[in-house]
Amino acid sequence: MIPYARDPQQTIPSSAVKIIGLGGAGSNMLERIALDGIEDAELLGLNTDARTLSTCLAREKIQLGSSLTRGLGAGGDPGLGQQAVLEAESEIRSSIRGRAIVFLCVGLGGGTGSGAAPMITRIAREEGAFVVVFATMPFAFEGLRRREQAETALNELAVLANALVTFDNNRMGELVLAKQGIHEAFTAADHMIGEAIKAVLRLVIRPGIINVGLDELMSALRTNRSRCLFGSGIANGKDRAAKALKNALNSPLLDQGALLKTAQTVLVHLAGGPDLTLFEIELLMQRLQKFVPADAQILFGAAIDQGMGDSLSITLISALPEDSLATSQRASLSHQPPENLIPDPIEELPSPPPRKPSATRDAVVPESTSEAEALPLFSAEPDPPKPGRHVASFTFTDDAIASETMMNEPEPAAMLEDEPPSEEFDTSLTPLDSASSPEILLETPVAPVDAEHPKLKLGIKSSGPQAELSLDSLNRGRFEGETPNVFEGEDLDLPPFLRKKK
Amino acid sequence: MARRTQIHVGLEIGTSKTCMVVGEIKADSAVKILGIGVTKTAGIRKGEIYDFAQARACLKDALAKAEDASSVQIGSVYLAVTGAHFQGVNNCGTYRLPDGEPVVASEHVEEASNIAREVPILRDHAVLHSIVRNYRLDGLEHSTSPVGLFGKTVESDFHIVHGIATRIQNSIKLVREMPLEVDEIVFSPIATAQMALDRDHREGGALVIDIGGGTTDYALYLNGAIAASGCIPVGGDHVTNDIHLVTGLPFSKADRLKIMEGDASSDLARSVGIAKLTDDRGFAEVEVERSILNEVIRQRLEETLKLVRARLPAGSVEQIGSGIFLTGGTSLMRGFSELAFDVFGRDIYRPEPPEVSGIQASFKDPHYATAIGLIRYAQILDTERAGPAGMFKKLGRMIWPFGR
Repeated sequence: MIPYARDPQQTIPSSAVKIIGLGGAGSNMLERIALDGIEDAELLGLNTDARTLSTCLAREKIQLGSSLTRGLGAGGDPGLGQQAVLEAESEIRSSIRGRAIVFLCVGLGGGTGSGAAPMITRIAREEGAFVVVFATMPFAFEGLRRREQAETALNELAVLANALVTFDNNRMGELVLAKQGIHEAFTAADHMIGEAIKAVLRLVIRPGIINVGLDELMSALRTNRSRCLFGSGIANGKDRAAKALKNALNSPLLDQGALLKTAQTVLVHLAGGPDLTLFEIELLMQRLQKFVPADAQILFGAAIDQGMGDSLSITLISALPEDSLATSQRASLSHQPPENLIPDPIEELPSPPPRKPSATRDAVVPESTSEAEALPLFSAEPDPPKPGRHVASFTFTDDAIASETMMNEPEPAAMLEDEPPSEEFDTSLTPLDSASSPEILLETPVAPVDAEHPKLKLGIKSSGPQAELSLDSLNRGRFEGETPNVFEGEDLDLPPFLRKKK
Repeated sequence: MARRTQIHVGLEIGTSKTCMVVGEIKADSAVKILGIGVTKTAGIRKGEIYDFAQARACLKDALAKAEDASSVQIGSVYLAVTGAHFQGVNNCGTYRLPDGEPVVASEHVEEASNIAREVPILRDHAVLHSIVRNYRLDGLEHSTSPVGLFGKTVESDFHIVHGIATRIQNSIKLVREMPLEVDEIVFSPIATAQMALDRDHREGGALVIDIGGGTTDYALYLNGAIAASGCIPVGGDHVTNDIHLVTGLPFSKADRLKIMEGDASSDLARSVGIAKLTDDRGFAEVEVERSILNEVIRQRLEETLKLVRARLPAGSVEQIGSGIFLTGGTSLMRGFSELAFDVFGRDIYRPEPPEVSGIQASFKDPHYATAIGLIRYAQILDTERAGPAGMFKKLGRMIWPFGR
């Protein structure tokens, strides 16, 4: 066989990818992404709030507006957020320089997110990066004002970013069961965004059999001022093609595939283990045709990934002109409950109007003390070399999430409750982490079973090596010369009496 | 509309015999069997044709016998088909009603059904049956079409049987060469179930296992609707072949030994001594130890039943309330009920054909269950078609890939 190197232009080294978490919601997403395990892409945390930034587990952190807000948040004022980012512009610019893809995770509606996101997007674009923005929209109960801030920022982002994926927090309820905790709801939302980032990364980093790259991604998202439609699903076992597609369409961003009906261009990327068959792909694509208009351009890519085991993943990316979505979003705003009935836990601060800075400070002070109580618990752990550091930082994360989401009731017990499982989780992660193979991390429950499975089968067969010998030599009587009637590895045409005796 | 007497003909081209049953459905919907034409089949193996010419000759013979017996000129038949390539799958189609349409319309149900029928089948397969199991409206079960009710999502649950199209076409071709017309093609276990099960059985949960010469067909009914069906290419021929392979006896002797002496139960008391076959003059020509003979038979049938069990959806055996109904020639094997009970742990029945007048005695015989079941199937189709529900007829009639 003649080895040949793949065209280096086709793929992008993972070092050329930067994932930025901006603001409180952004850093939450960043943490979820890190916890779920991602390619060794660089993570960058940006925030005006020094406290949130300190718990952020990104390797690189830049504080925005350190002289402007003096380490406090932007207090829900986008103007403040915008000025803050200008202060740190050169720092951000040098951090982004030379990166091919920049993912910006941001929760819109607050000060830092809404104010700084357009600026950062512009900076990244100026540095020549392909910018994909993942933005969450505030809950309807957070009020019209916050919604408007978010909409304004979104409109700017739609023009500036190469691709914009929005997730409406109002739809968070669709991700989890009603009885599940708010913690889980936010985790699920962040997880979904993490999955989206990973899927895009998989697309551009892994060379495929049928390759799709940045160029295809761009043409799928070309519509100016567009909202991205995104769905990703993984399934394994029998009928996995259909299940994966179903999972992908279940994405709240796709609305059961209804939104694909008007798509012009759809990018479909399949990844599976070595047992991915052409037949499966055909089936899946046939099913997908039902959801996509006949004249739509389908950009198809497929990749084989050893780490996928027997599972199959499908990623659908498409874009809709922005106005086609706007109507439905406005509709959800028609009735507005009183502002700040429940503070948004995803944001760094329970954003009151900027006129009352004293209230903001009041809200921060008890929070930071409880944080200070919680911190020594973990910083008491020694700071061992590389892998150990990860353990510590992971623990931090869970604590941070817990404290973020449990803001309303700063019960130390609740935080401690979260502790032991997170540590267990960490220890199980550590060896894999050192192997730095995120695909395996993704599939941890699946991969070991897979490795076991063929062995098991072999075991059954090899338990009777004589049986195997005699199978070949045995006369099959009336059924001689027919195609073997094999079911689960046994030739049914041979007498069980002879097969099972050995 | 006054119903006329209808004559239907059921044809089963089995691995061991070709069986044509002529049945008369009277105005009061009683079924009378007018005649049966049975002949030993050649050219069929494991339910599938491998020698077309031989199979044709057998069918011709059966046709002549059936016409003789019933004094009816047969023009068209209901045909039962089977084979390992047939698969029964359940699929659910979900359709979300468009905004502003709160009431389920028939086209919504149709759309959900169309989605449900879109099972991923292999390219060379064709859908033979698509049977509605039930409907769901916003997750709530409806056994009939929810047209006219308020709801958001309609789901229709279908059982779909599909098989290799060319093989089905060959079966049709065989019949057409008689020349006979084919009214309908029915997957064998579904036809058998028409005979073996009544409504109560289906409601209570019942499994029909038809162990024939070359195949074992099964159909599972839970809560009144079909839940699984399929075919395992193992049957009585395999038992004979096993005896032949283990003991070295020729086929004909092995077959006679199986029928005369074989026992499938694991009862040790029945496995004592030597099984003998005597020739016309009373001399023993074959002697086989019963323990070996019975063990060969038992292991084969046990494995077959276990294969059936493994193919059923998880946890469904526990839901079988009415019991397991055995039919087919091989189910006549001594001790088979005990064996089936050992495997499934459920009540075991041999079905009694209900309400069939005529030459009664022969219809108690499970050999004819499928062919008689076809007559029942035809009867059900007749009533469905005669019924006012034009839409239902359309649903009942499947996408028919072969033309008519």
